[in-house]
Amino acid sequence: MGFWERTAGLVPRFPGPPELSEVPEITTEEAVVRAPSGPPLRVRVLVSEGDTVARGQAVATLQDAPGIQLVAPISGMVAHVRLLPGKKLSEIVLFRAGDAVTKHDTASAADASGLRRLMMASGFWPRLRQRPFGGMPAETEVPVAILVTGSDTRPGAPNAKRALEGRTKSLQRGLAALSQLTEGKVFFCTTDADLPDDLGKAPCQVILHGVRHPQGSAGILCHRHCPAGVGSPVWDVRAEDVADLGELLDTGVLPQMRLIRISGEGLLHGQSLRTHLGADIRQLTRRLVAPGPVETFSGGLLDGRRASWLGIPDRQVAVVPAQSRTTARHWLVDALVHMPRPVPIIPTAALTQALGAALPAAPLVRALGAGDEEGAQRLGLLSLLEEDLALADYALGEKGQIMAQVRCLLDRIHKENVE
Amino acid sequence: MSGGIWTRETVAMLLLACFLPMGASWVWYGGHLSVAFLVLMIVYGWQLLFLLARAQAPSLSGVITAFAVAMLAPEHIGPLRLALGVSFGVVMGELVFGGWGRNVVNPATVSLAFLGFGFPSFEWPAFDVPVAWAAIPAVALGCGLGVMSAGLALGASFVAIGASLLGALDGSVVIAAAIAFVLLVADPATAATTRFGAWAQGGLFVALLTLFHQAWTGAAPVQMAVAASLLTSLAVPLLDEATLAAWVALRRRRHGRT
Repeated sequence: MGFWERTAGLVPRFPGPPELSEVPEITTEEAVVRAPSGPPLRVRVLVSEGDTVARGQAVATLQDAPGIQLVAPISGMVAHVRLLPGKKLSEIVLFRAGDAVTKHDTASAADASGLRRLMMASGFWPRLRQRPFGGMPAETEVPVAILVTGSDTRPGAPNAKRALEGRTKSLQRGLAALSQLTEGKVFFCTTDADLPDDLGKAPCQVILHGVRHPQGSAGILCHRHCPAGVGSPVWDVRAEDVADLGELLDTGVLPQMRLIRISGEGLLHGQSLRTHLGADIRQLTRRLVAPGPVETFSGGLLDGRRASWLGIPDRQVAVVPAQSRTTARHWLVDALVHMPRPVPIIPTAALTQALGAALPAAPLVRALGAGDEEGAQRLGLLSLLEEDLALADYALGEKGQIMAQVRCLLDRIHKENVE
Repeated sequence: MSGGIWTRETVAMLLLACFLPMGASWVWYGGHLSVAFLVLMIVYGWQLLFLLARAQAPSLSGVITAFAVAMLAPEHIGPLRLALGVSFGVVMGELVFGGWGRNVVNPATVSLAFLGFGFPSFEWPAFDVPVAWAAIPAVALGCGLGVMSAGLALGASFVAIGASLLGALDGSVVIAAAIAFVLLVADPATAATTRFGAWAQGGLFVALLTLFHQAWTGAAPVQMAVAASLLTSLAVPLLDEATLAAWVALRRRRHGRT
């Protein structure tokens, strides 16, 4: 990797309080089961309100792919089941109770089809994300490559090395399992500092990248090393999840805990902690949050979504002071500030670096703004998701417009090519 | 959740900051601030009209346009002719496309070309050497802040050094070229957006200037620089498209898809 590639990217700094040194393990009193990002999924709910469930027990299955199951992240009682019209899953809320665990039979996971069945039945499948278009892969999809991201360059990300501490064997086992699912390569992408010791035996190609964002972004890595296309999907998954897969294969139990980091200006103290998927963010932040109204986001400071529960792919929680209502402005000031059409972007080095200098940034952003599907595809849109352009969106002060344009174009391309 | 600073107006402010040394030396060596003020009024008059008629946001880039036209416009041209040329450039070169950032050609370049072609009997200005020297900190600041393309500046510099060594460019042309480069060619909204495109644009600007210097009898240095700026701007989409086509072809060969 050359000097220019290594130093590409930006280092956005956000104000925040100092971080507490202890890393507690917290299971929240409430947790939620939700579908992964993407269009709402039609599900068949397997539990009803008041039922007791064990950790890892299936609570819902997809109607169109019955093999793929959504599982309880904690053991407890089903408090609410909320469905949207068309039996689309909104959320299943659980109250914590007991410590029962569901164990899966791993005997049939020696071959690729058995491994797939285990990954779907154990609730691992939603942790995979496919490109193009995002969301979890289809039941029978075979990727051309799998990207394992071992480092997170987003501001406020948890320490990736700490997340994998003492789990090298599980990681190797997980990587070996993943290599059965693709005819192409498994890429393990990380920085020098976060590279786990003794990864040499794992069947993967190690790719080292710089520490500046968005070099560790899966979309930028995908674009650089194995571009995705319609009919040639690429999966990406976090290294911590791959270690969980290795542990699942060893023990039959899929770990639900993960290292996350809570940061932001709305806190008295930041903190890294271990918690489970679908954790209650209000409980996680209760002792950390500063007085006054705040907003909580699941995800990073750049690409987080307002949420009360920790999302499936998220390793960060951001807490920022709630924005006070703006006072009425003079009509002329409003006329100067609020325009019906967005203000055009000016190509600068900041924009180029916000996309890691990996692709022609200004032509891509212009193609997105113009709704030019063909142009955007030609420039690599199919390898990217909204979060990969979050830094460009932030740097240009677009307040989510570029991310919305990416989603709009991806949905349109999906509709034209796949549906 | 929150926003960064690299909005259109930030870029315009930074460009203005880059131009300050050049503007100050131009005023110090006899530049007419009254002309700049007149052009500024015309530019913002049109911006106000487009704000009211099309809800199109005005931009600080109007100050840059006014500054560039005031410095490079033919001398003693008179307020009416100047108003006509500036109006044509600002409306047809920028505002009808949707304002700064959506335009293809720099509005100051269009204005100056209009004035040059429409009123050829007026003399083009000549600059003192210190004004041209001020182009160096302007480019250095612009490239350092990332609002000007370093490739563009390097491409122009390499070709200029080569042409000068061959004796194809003289001092007066280099002075005019430096000023026109900063004010007209380096505009990030209309400059090439690809790496090779930027190098090629810089090189093309100086190559055209050299050609004009050798073959255009009787033309003033600023006139040649404006003409080279206009032609280079028109070639930018082609340079970018060619670069992108090559980039896509390379990726297809390496990965089988883009």
